[in-house]
Amino acid sequence: MQICETTVICKTEPLILTNLRAVYWPAQKMLILSDVHIGKTAHFRKSGIPISLEVLDKDLQRLGYLIDRFKPETLMVVGDLFHAEFNADVTRFKTWIKHYTSLQILLVKGNHDRSLLRLYEHLNIKIIKEELELSPFVFTHDKTQIEAQDTNFYISGHTHPGVFLKGMAKQRIKLPCYQINKQQLILPAFSLFTGLNTNNPPKSCINYAFTDTEIFKL
Amino acid sequence: MFEESEGFKIIKNYLAEQEQEPFQFQLKTWKTYSKGYSGMVIAPTGFGKTFSVFLAVVIEYLNHPEAYQKGLKLLWISPLRSLAKDLAKAMEAAVNAIGLDWEVQVRNGDTPQNVRRKQERLMPDVLLTTPETMHLLFSQKRNSRWFTSLQCVAVDEWHELLGNKRGVLTELVISRLLTIAPKLKVWGITATIGNLEEAQDVLIPYSHLKTTMVKAKERKKLKIESLLPDTVDVLPWSGHLGASMSSKIIPIIKTNTTTLIFTNTRGQSELWYQIILEAAPELAGLLAIHHGSIDLKLRHWIEDSISSGQLKAVICTSSLDLGVDFKPVDCIIQIGSAKGVARFMQRAGRSGHSPYETSKIYFVPTHSLELIEVAALKEAVKQNKTESRSPMVLCYDVMVQFLVTLATGEGFIKEKAFNILKQTHAFSYLNQDEFNWAIQFITQGGETLKAYEEFHKVILDEDGLYKVKNRRISMLHRMNIGAIVSDAMLRVKFRSGGYIGVIEEYFISKLKPKSSFILAGRVLEMMHIKDMTVYVKRSKSKKAITPSWLGGRLPLTSHLSHFLRIKLAEALSPGIRERELKFLHPLIANQNDKSHIPKSNEFLIELITTKDGYHLFMYPFEGRLVHEVIAALMAYRLGKITPLSFTIAMNDYGFELLSDQPIPLDATNVDALLSKTNLMEDISASINASEMASRTFRDIAVIAGLVVQSRPGSRQNNKSLQSSSSLIFRVLEDYEPNNLLLRQAYTEVFNQQLEEVRLQAAFERISKSKIVIKQAKAFTPLSFPIKVDSLRNAMSNESLEARIARIKQQTQNVD
Repeated sequence: MQICETTVICKTEPLILTNLRAVYWPAQKMLILSDVHIGKTAHFRKSGIPISLEVLDKDLQRLGYLIDRFKPETLMVVGDLFHAEFNADVTRFKTWIKHYTSLQILLVKGNHDRSLLRLYEHLNIKIIKEELELSPFVFTHDKTQIEAQDTNFYISGHTHPGVFLKGMAKQRIKLPCYQINKQQLILPAFSLFTGLNTNNPPKSCINYAFTDTEIFKL
Repeated sequence: MFEESEGFKIIKNYLAEQEQEPFQFQLKTWKTYSKGYSGMVIAPTGFGKTFSVFLAVVIEYLNHPEAYQKGLKLLWISPLRSLAKDLAKAMEAAVNAIGLDWEVQVRNGDTPQNVRRKQERLMPDVLLTTPETMHLLFSQKRNSRWFTSLQCVAVDEWHELLGNKRGVLTELVISRLLTIAPKLKVWGITATIGNLEEAQDVLIPYSHLKTTMVKAKERKKLKIESLLPDTVDVLPWSGHLGASMSSKIIPIIKTNTTTLIFTNTRGQSELWYQIILEAAPELAGLLAIHHGSIDLKLRHWIEDSISSGQLKAVICTSSLDLGVDFKPVDCIIQIGSAKGVARFMQRAGRSGHSPYETSKIYFVPTHSLELIEVAALKEAVKQNKTESRSPMVLCYDVMVQFLVTLATGEGFIKEKAFNILKQTHAFSYLNQDEFNWAIQFITQGGETLKAYEEFHKVILDEDGLYKVKNRRISMLHRMNIGAIVSDAMLRVKFRSGGYIGVIEEYFISKLKPKSSFILAGRVLEMMHIKDMTVYVKRSKSKKAITPSWLGGRLPLTSHLSHFLRIKLAEALSPGIRERELKFLHPLIANQNDKSHIPKSNEFLIELITTKDGYHLFMYPFEGRLVHEVIAALMAYRLGKITPLSFTIAMNDYGFELLSDQPIPLDATNVDALLSKTNLMEDISASINASEMASRTFRDIAVIAGLVVQSRPGSRQNNKSLQSSSSLIFRVLEDYEPNNLLLRQAYTEVFNQQLEEVRLQAAFERISKSKIVIKQAKAFTPLSFPIKVDSLRNAMSNESLEARIARIKQQTQNVD
């Protein structure tokens, strides 16, 4: 696994964007990510669609790598930590997360995390219903419309953002990305078992696209 | 003597009362049926082919009523729902006139719940249905009892099913029915196609059935006329001719009773509806639009209005290719290439329905080069050459679906299911390993070592039956039965009530609220989306987007492309009767001037450099699908000379490779690039490197139940199971590369897009041709239509990093 980092300044705060689909906020020792969708592959399997167990392993491996790299005190998930019902994937996650006893986990509820409180039992996760303000940021799951006069800076996920890199000779390469403008930062989906959405990016946003070996602005 | 039988006399009298006499082919069908034969009837539309098989069953019943039980006697399978409704009416009228106490009923997706329940208690004597509905019936508990009394299964318009996976579904229906109904006879009904013998063998490969082929001698007279634009454009591009042609179309609409105007895509039909109404506003109310995305009720209303003669013209797509006769229709207009001889003739046949009338069809080109196609079409029609439809084989996706269908219904015993599959043409080469893989796949989800504990799709019972026990899985499976794969669709509904039709999610996701689009000839403003439904209101906006439905493009058949090559070669010195070619002369001369017109023994290559990059054009004239494969092959071989990235565009005449780097092709290496050596190996490699397999996997994933299709307007949208086939494709490539469905995607590119034989022949021809390489300064008449085609594939043998690095350099808006 190769990690590539780039530092951006949002509201005077430096944030480290990585090509491993998570952001590190040094000032708060906080690792921020979104749309992990744990339980999605097991949900598919239960419904008769065989998706490999290794898909979840890959995601957890990457998360473990990020935790080792940054040694965060807090893990902030801005929504959709879980995909659906309580299932075998969730159990595996529960076992896996036990290795990180000192890590505080915050979850801003996403549309998939609706009401299944049983999922979070014994997980020691602090759950935030709508949004959490941690100056100078507001953490929330889905923020697509922001009023012009709103002075908050939102960090969110939900859209699974992607972007086309367009070159000469009509070349187009679709890549996952972070989207940043004056009012918000949208995170890419952490899970690899997700699609990419290139429609309706936020107004005048800058995209930080990434691959396995680099992260760059466009 | 058959002619003296009671049944025959009754039917003869019945026809005489209608002032009709049986055609020879009808008589022959009745006779052979009475001797216990199965078979296939080949007859043009409008000559009573329905009554050939239907009345055969009736006569046999009238002669031996004592041999029949209560319940289903004749199962009538047709590819279109809309066909069933009108056929049932015709059959019912006949049954009543004869005085039979038979029930004739339709069953398909539109059949109301209460009627279905009634049918399930007691099946009618004649049931008209579709292949999909038959599989749905197979997925019900205790379904065998409905079919034990069955005497005959008739497959109508078999040529429409043969050649696609719905044909495979049909083969499986027949194979299973034969295990339930011992006396079953199988009859196919088809229009003329190039491979009739094969078509019959695919439908009836059963050695214990006696078979015969009944061909009608009757032929329809056909008159083809092309409408020429006022001037010929030197650079012909798609759609450009549209508006200027409306002045030629309107007088034709006015002088005929009812005209059907065929376009090739739903998007085009919407466009032409607007164009014609604008040019002739007095046609408002007399002009209608009909395509597959328009709400069913609206379509039925339009069909009824055509029958009753209330409409002057209907703009339609292949949605009206088949169907019962619309009596008032006396004229057909085809806009744009019909892409194939058989389809063109079928459409032409929709006018002048009485057997001895002449069918009239006008051809309207959407770009100048299409006029060459008309010349080619006329030649093909003159020589009476129609295309073959190749049957599909070893569709593992359909096998997986079928096994789960059986498991959802009565459950299956392994050996019996294997035999049902093995007996069909499609699975005659199925081996035990492949079958075992499928069993493994539906019971454990994957390879032995990767059994998933929560995966319980199909379960092996103690009594040796494979069954689906989970209700949710049954429900999901029933929703997914079939082989027609469409993009995710949303229903479109007025906020004030009333459905208009369906639209692709892909299209609507790009629209912002309050923007306008066109559907069913109406300008609509999008309001909001809820429960897979788009709510709209009427819009007065002048600027509205016409949706382009994906996948609406048909490739030119190999047959037509053969005639096209010949006509193009002749085009520089056209014969006196070749009106189209003479008209095109300025354009042909321009091509010859700027580049070259390939003679029939030449192969043209054009190299053009523009600000977009370096273009390579080749013109094999083999049809779009074959070009896609040859283009990938050329990209692959060029990439071996030096690493390159290409975007690829193609049409039915040729293809373009576009690169940001100079393309290393010249007279010294062109023979090697086009060489037959290692042809199949290189093609395999290029298919692996391209996106083609990922695209064919789209249908496979849906049919095999890996991707859940959402139903337009359904509240049950299964959002938590939403994924894309490309995502599943990637996961399988990463973790289960030996999955048979994945392998099927690669072989389908081969089998669907190019038969090996045809490709070998093409390269044989190219290798014997004189290769002409031309450097042109600007786009030529031949290259221009390819260049403007917006649908592009990509192929690269460079690393992602290298590509990104160069794009960064070129565009400089990247850090």
